[in-house]
Amino acid sequence: MAQDPEWKKGSAELLVLSLLEDQPRHGYDISKLIHIRSGGALRFHVTSLYPLLHRLEKNGWIVGRWVEKAEQRRRRYYSLTPRGREALRAKQQSWKDFVALINRVTGLEHG
Amino acid sequence: MVDWRQVVRTRLADLRLTPSTESELTEELAQHLEDLERDLQSGGATRAEAYRETLSELDDIYELRAGVDRSQCMTKHEAVPVGDATSRSFFDDLQRDLRYAGRSMRTNPVFALIVVATLGLGIGANTTVFTLLNTLILSPMPVSAPSELVAVASTGTAQPNTLMPLSYPNFTDYQNQNSVFSGLAGYARMRALTWQTRAASQPLLTEFVTGNYFPTLGVGAATGRTFGPEADAPGDPQAVAVMNYGTWQARFGGAADVVGQQLHLNNVVVTVIGVAPQGFIGVNGLVGPDLWLPFAMVERLLPSEMRTAASDRSKPLLQGVGRIKAGVTIAQARANVSALAATLAREYPDANEGETVTVRPIADVLFGGGSKMVRFAGVVLAMVAGVVLLIACSNVANLLLARSAARQQEMAVRVALGASRARLVRQLLTESVCLGLLGGSVGLLLAYFGMQLLAGSLPATGTFTTSRLDGTVLLFALLISVATGFVFGTIPALSVSRAGVSGALKEARTAGRSARKVTVANSLLVGQVALSFLLLVTAALFLRSIQQAYDIDPGFKADHLVVFITNPGQAGYEDPQTMAFYQDVAERVARLPEVESAAWASNMPLFARPVGGLQVEGRPRQSPTDSSITIVNTVSRGYFQTSGVVIEKGREFAELDRPTSLPVAIVNEKLAQDYWPGDDALGKRVRVPGEQEMREIIGVARTANYSAWGEPPQRCVYLPLEQNHLPAMTLYVRTKGDPAQMVSAVERAISAAGPQVLVSGIRTGQQVIDGSLFQARIGVALLSVFGLLALGLASIGLYGILAYTVSQRQREIGLRMALGASHPNVLRMIVKEGMSLVAIGVVIGFAAALLAGRLLSRMLYGVGAADPVSVAGAALVLGGVALLACYLPARWATRVDPLVALRQG
Repeated sequence: MAQDPEWKKGSAELLVLSLLEDQPRHGYDISKLIHIRSGGALRFHVTSLYPLLHRLEKNGWIVGRWVEKAEQRRRRYYSLTPRGREALRAKQQSWKDFVALINRVTGLEHG
Repeated sequence: MVDWRQVVRTRLADLRLTPSTESELTEELAQHLEDLERDLQSGGATRAEAYRETLSELDDIYELRAGVDRSQCMTKHEAVPVGDATSRSFFDDLQRDLRYAGRSMRTNPVFALIVVATLGLGIGANTTVFTLLNTLILSPMPVSAPSELVAVASTGTAQPNTLMPLSYPNFTDYQNQNSVFSGLAGYARMRALTWQTRAASQPLLTEFVTGNYFPTLGVGAATGRTFGPEADAPGDPQAVAVMNYGTWQARFGGAADVVGQQLHLNNVVVTVIGVAPQGFIGVNGLVGPDLWLPFAMVERLLPSEMRTAASDRSKPLLQGVGRIKAGVTIAQARANVSALAATLAREYPDANEGETVTVRPIADVLFGGGSKMVRFAGVVLAMVAGVVLLIACSNVANLLLARSAARQQEMAVRVALGASRARLVRQLLTESVCLGLLGGSVGLLLAYFGMQLLAGSLPATGTFTTSRLDGTVLLFALLISVATGFVFGTIPALSVSRAGVSGALKEARTAGRSARKVTVANSLLVGQVALSFLLLVTAALFLRSIQQAYDIDPGFKADHLVVFITNPGQAGYEDPQTMAFYQDVAERVARLPEVESAAWASNMPLFARPVGGLQVEGRPRQSPTDSSITIVNTVSRGYFQTSGVVIEKGREFAELDRPTSLPVAIVNEKLAQDYWPGDDALGKRVRVPGEQEMREIIGVARTANYSAWGEPPQRCVYLPLEQNHLPAMTLYVRTKGDPAQMVSAVERAISAAGPQVLVSGIRTGQQVIDGSLFQARIGVALLSVFGLLALGLASIGLYGILAYTVSQRQREIGLRMALGASHPNVLRMIVKEGMSLVAIGVVIGFAAALLAGRLLSRMLYGVGAADPVSVAGAALVLGGVALLACYLPARWATRVDPLVALRQG
């Protein structure tokens, strides 16, 4: 189930936005965190991660900035915009509702 | 370490991202992959495993394509069809070329606009001229099979080019006895008849024609009917008329009940039986009559003038128009008619001796004696318009050349990818033909407005020929547009496609235009300057010619003069009544304040027609058509004083010259000189055509202009009105002040003397001269417009090419200024470059102008082809404008900041 692309598509935005909630991160950082936190179950290839980031940026939910740090190649850091924060709230809520709904229907909560 | 950038770039190439998206994405992905590979290796993977694992990230590149926003991708169509070596089908290629042309116009709309406007002016000028030529010369008569029509006319031995009418009896003999025409019709010259309406009398121009006139020409009626051979029936002819379509519209408001309407013409009631088709104005080039009347009616309508019309073989009245039988050539027709003429000369030697009759193409008579001149002027006009178009073409070619510098690289790439040169040329030509067609549409629009303007400047009588923007004109515009596209497109197309691949790829971005291209551009520019100089000189020559023409002494005094045509005969006056009317009017007008004198003459100034048949006592009898043609002018007492014609010898007509006294005449110096060189003409005797008695010469008048302004001297005989009563005369009034102010007072005096008498043709002396020089003035106006158009186009071309050169040489100019060249130095350098091209152009243009001036010499009056004033004037105008066109880019060059220019380079 973890590898189901349909599932990934619906939740990918929520995952990325959640990871950016506390601090700005670059693309590799985001992908590594998803990989680690999912215990290796979830993995985004660059070919899907970056278009997703650009789409979110175009929506105005996140904003990317090139940051140069000493003795490092410059990296593009993405951070959440106020609108992104609202979107995240909405997505979290609807995710909770969705999970609750699934649970109620399947009776998993009581099981 | 793997260069992930390189890897990513290769994978992304397929996605056709915009350059900025591609470079950012490459950097981001490469960074990501580098991090991943490093982490994998530090996590214990081997280098190969890490590489494989990292590379697999890029496996599904199409996911990336699906995710990439559309705005981040390049447009679907290639800006340039790559390579394009293999053509699939002609129409495929054409469609692609058209799309390409459309795109290249959209990307550079200002360029396209300038090109289309320039071409529009050039094509518009040509279409306008073609419309004129088409109307006047190429297809002037809206009749069936006009090429079968010929003119049949009498020619004198001395002036074989002057076509004269035939007498009615002779005409009917030709009509009945020829074997070459399926129909031979006759028409008399137009005459103004008095149309009596309840309000006032008005003139109507009429043409008396034989009954078979309409059937021969193959012209039906727009409404009602035309008359046929039955109208020739002797006895009491039908009083019928066919109306000009234009007259019907303009003077009768297109009234539906015009057929059957009765008109009172010269006291005769004439019934309109039909209207001729729209556009038909008879065998006339420019102006037609208001009405066509059967020739059989001529005696009823013009009793005093035409009493002998039907029987007198020596009274020339009818021009013949014949429809040649199928298979008969003009030469055969001429031979047949000449043989008949010889027979008639034998049968009626008194009237016909020495008369030869010829057959000519109908075009030779459409403009009377001026037909050749009209055609010559047409050719000149067409050439001038052609020159304007040539300038426009070379201008556009130069613009395309300048732009092609930027495309050199593009073309080189495409050649490198396998496009054939022919394919490239074809593509570029498609583009220029598209531009040509757009220019052609603008040109048609301009031509339409031009023709409206011309039509608006003609009097609204409805009888003038109307220009038509018909299918022929549209076809002409289409052809000329396509041809233009080819002409201006060929040079740049060849030059661009000639691009050596490697050379162009290396240098194109930086080097600007090659030496070859500058040479081509400069040659085009020199050509433009030469052509516009040619047109300016020609225009100046004509302008000077007109100035000179106005300075001619016509032999009469045109200032303070005003003339009025009256026709008491047409109002039904009998002879004594007419003479009393003349007497009464002269006295009433002379009494007006501001009038110095008034007198009568049968001829309008500059409208006299010479007649043949003057007989000089003691010389053998001349045939009516030989060189003895003379102006005959019947004048009242006081004419010479009023008109300003000087009596050099002898005396004027006086009270003692009565109808019963000795018949007398006054001749002009030319006549006296021709017949009695070195002898005194006074006391000699002459007999004027149509008279029985000899007249004694009592005076010699100074030779004046009689038929045209600045004409070669003509012989003239003056007769006293008292001894030669005429039903129509022209009143000459000499005023103290402005003659135009006196017109209404004189008109009132005339209508007080004869309320029914029609007054027409009111003109001041100045208007008479202007009218006589009308063609020349139109010519000058058109030439000036075209000359200025050419100058404007050439200046834009000069400006454009210099501005381009300056922009290309910014670096060099910057360097010069950094090395100490002052602003004036740079200014001089650029201006000198431009002006030296102009100088070469002027020299070439001058040589061409000398040649053209010689060709045009017969249209020029009193100026030579190398008239220094015209040449200097044209050079001054051209030089001034060219200097400005050079100065603007030059000043721009001096504004170049050396530092900026050098850094840019």
